[in-house]
Amino acid sequence: MRSARREALLLLAPGGLLLVVVTALPMLLVLWLSFETRSVFRPPAFAGLDNYLRLAYDPRFWNALWNTVYFALVSVTLELVLGMAIALLVARAGRVRSLVYGAMLVPWAIPTVASARMWEWMYNAEFGVINSLLGAQINWLGDPLLALHAAIAMDVWKSTPFVALLLLAGLQSIPPDLYRAAAIDGARAWTTFRRITLPLLVPVILVAIVFRTIDALRVFDAVYVLTGGGPANGTETLSIYAYKALFQTLEFGYGSALAVAVLAITAAATIIYARLLRAGGQ
Amino acid sequence: MGRRTVLRALSTLPLGAALAGCRARDRDESNVVVFRHPKLFGDPTALNVVLADFERASGVRVRREALPASSDEQHLFYAINLQARSREFDVLALDTIWTAEFAQAGWLREITHLLSVADRADFFPGALASVTWQGRIHALPWFADAGLLYWRKDLLAQHAMAPPRTWDELLAATRAVKTAQPGLHGFVWQGKQYEGLVCNALEFVWSHGGDLDAAHVREAIDGLAFMRALVTEGVSPAWVTTLTEESARVIFGRGDALFLRNWPYAWRLFEREGSMLRGRVGMSVLPHAPGEQSAGTLGGWQLGVNAFSQRSAVAEQLAAYLTAPSAQKALALAYGYSPPRRSLYADAEFAAAQPFLASLHGVLEAARPRPVSPHYVALSQTLQAQFSAVLTGVRSPQAALDRMLRTAAALERR
Repeated sequence: MRSARREALLLLAPGGLLLVVVTALPMLLVLWLSFETRSVFRPPAFAGLDNYLRLAYDPRFWNALWNTVYFALVSVTLELVLGMAIALLVARAGRVRSLVYGAMLVPWAIPTVASARMWEWMYNAEFGVINSLLGAQINWLGDPLLALHAAIAMDVWKSTPFVALLLLAGLQSIPPDLYRAAAIDGARAWTTFRRITLPLLVPVILVAIVFRTIDALRVFDAVYVLTGGGPANGTETLSIYAYKALFQTLEFGYGSALAVAVLAITAAATIIYARLLRAGGQ
Repeated sequence: MGRRTVLRALSTLPLGAALAGCRARDRDESNVVVFRHPKLFGDPTALNVVLADFERASGVRVRREALPASSDEQHLFYAINLQARSREFDVLALDTIWTAEFAQAGWLREITHLLSVADRADFFPGALASVTWQGRIHALPWFADAGLLYWRKDLLAQHAMAPPRTWDELLAATRAVKTAQPGLHGFVWQGKQYEGLVCNALEFVWSHGGDLDAAHVREAIDGLAFMRALVTEGVSPAWVTTLTEESARVIFGRGDALFLRNWPYAWRLFEREGSMLRGRVGMSVLPHAPGEQSAGTLGGWQLGVNAFSQRSAVAEQLAAYLTAPSAQKALALAYGYSPPRRSLYADAEFAAAQPFLASLHGVLEAARPRPVSPHYVALSQTLQAQFSAVLTGVRSPQAALDRMLRTAAALERR
């Protein structure tokens, strides 16, 4: 018995070690760096909570935090609503379903940087296809209020298929008998959706929310390619600010504190959802 | 097959040749000086010829290595290697905005002694200011660049307008031409939130007599208010807030705009075969407010010596050699980058071979460096955001300027 256990540990060790090296160590290192002042002009020195204090008084941090949270809330909500609608439609699609599956996956499969470049062109005020279709001259990426919404629209386009697929899998696991019974009882479509589909989908919905929220809170590439954080820092997310602090101004301490802030926010969101998930599962 | 045979077989391949080259190099590494520089667009033989002359004269071999493509990556490359006290390169090409930072960090050898009195008089004042940190020289100007104004010769002639010398004249010309051709855009420039916006906005500020210090706030506000007015008055399209060098150049190059602010590189593209604007574009220093001076933002490259170099004497020689008039002339003739020395602009051969470069004399004479600060990259991020906020009407010039000056002061304390 004991030797079997030892063997199991031995077999797990390489994988565990790999996780420690590629995930835990860098994370601890960033955490450590966030307690140091470290720049190109100064040798590293322990700074306690200085970086976090600076964070608290940095209007640019609060702006980035707001942009990030707003981006995540709006995009995940839209993705969920649209994803649900698409899943319900596709579930009834019958024979063309596999074709629809493939078509749906295209936006999700294109590398984000490539699709962001594509959207940048589509949003171009002068030559872009969107303005040309609308017959308007809307300054999508050059207006501080519009730019963040333009980025959200791109994220919704990209990630809705992922949500739809998850929900579709959930829909297919609902026993058809329930729908038949509901039909016999004379339930209308809306009642069936509210009383049967939705409650049984709750765990899947929560999983979709968790995945999408974590992704959205870390958003970097899509927005960075579209706008670089502008105009007027109107699209600067926490990850973009952290990137600029770490890789442009070379403030390794402060940049790490920003990275830790991203981690803390995603962790908080995940814990809240995990609680909900457990409550929903019961 | 013995080991020797394998090696011999390998050496017939390019890879094998490269490996063999490496080994040969390792043997007499003491006699090699490494030069890091950005890719030069054009025939590499010109630079090789210039370097071969140096090798012959000095008896030292020069190995040149390319920098990454983007400015961010180049900066990061140097920072990572120099912070680790790398000795892997001896002479390094620097963007004008990094010199103070690298000097303050102790990564650049002080080379004030390489600059003769004649050199001091020869280099353009802006270029010289950008290599000077705390009164000492830390790099030598290699190429110089500056913002300038392009305009449509044909359209201005049609409306009997002279090329604008003041901003008011630019506005008047735009209105006159736009009345006849409402579809045409007036003045396009770089308004996206990025380094290019800092260059453009500083030009508006400087050409109104302003600067980023407490003594010039009123004039700086005028400059920023003017920048915002370009959009509100419709002289520049609203989406100028998304334009970079290339997107602005493309719009002007398609014949869709009357005026363009850009760097000298755009000229060649307008004048090349197949360009619809060939022979129809004029160029000059940027306009200024009445009674003030024109100023283009200085760009370009400089050569510094790695403070950790083990061959610093030779490295100094190479930096001095590459920035001397003869090498700069050869490189300017071959690559079409403008040299930062006044004397070359009086050179008949240079003027005959590169008439456009020769015509940049006035532009480069008036060029001004961006704030020379060891914290420039951090300062620039604030400037980019605040200039962008003014341009998009999010913040008043006064409020934005307050924030910029506060950030600048905080950075100096850091």
